[in-house]
Amino acid sequence: MFEAAPIFSLLSHALDNAALRQAVHTTNIANAGVDGFHRLDLVFDTQLRALASSADEGAREPSWVGTQPRIVATNDAVRLDQEMALMAKDSVRYQALLGAFDRTTGLLRLAIHEGKGA
Amino acid sequence: MGMFSVLDISAAGMDVQQARLAAASANLANASSTSKPGAPVYKPVSVVVHSVPVSAAGGLPRPVVTGTAELDVPAHLVYDPGHPDADERGFVALPGTDPISSMLELISISRGYEANLRAFDVSRDLMQKTLDLGNRR
Repeated sequence: MFEAAPIFSLLSHALDNAALRQAVHTTNIANAGVDGFHRLDLVFDTQLRALASSADEGAREPSWVGTQPRIVATNDAVRLDQEMALMAKDSVRYQALLGAFDRTTGLLRLAIHEGKGA
Repeated sequence: MGMFSVLDISAAGMDVQQARLAAASANLANASSTSKPGAPVYKPVSVVVHSVPVSAAGGLPRPVVTGTAELDVPAHLVYDPGHPDADERGFVALPGTDPISSMLELISISRGYEANLRAFDVSRDLMQKTLDLGNRR
């Protein structure tokens, strides 16, 4: 049977983190060239990889859903071209997540209308 | 962090670029300003920018212009005995503005402003797309 709750939870978490990534890119671009400012980054994927490798097989919801990414300052200066490219990439990722969210909602809508369409 | 503070950060970035533009424009506009012998010559200025957290509890930093500083560059002496501001030896003191550096600064400001504007647009676009999710049938 199709269970939407874990999927919504997962997508919601992923969207939150994607939005935080966008905020970090925006901050880096706004503070580019400011004395003493170092590029910010999210340590999220690293945590994900570590946790995903030890995830329980039978868990209803992935165990890393509750992890909170941390914003850390790197030792690098901000490079505008690099930051713009990363922002474009993460923007596409965010829109892909929105698409997945929309399709999941569409499946639920189909089920509510007993497969007769909206 | 509030949903709209990301837009505020981009706006702060654009404010900083505008302040830098005003300083660079003033430096270029005054590149030929002279003054009477003994009087201070125009000194190029630069904006002082600091990163401050959005909230007292921390959060993402936004750039803020905290003031302007006069650059300590020596005046440029040009021999022009006919100039009304020439000294007794015939030299006129001009500001130590480097026009090439100022032009490069203007290009950097333009790119910085465009990048902030683009970041603003992307953030707004993503917010709008998220809000539109609930409106689909």
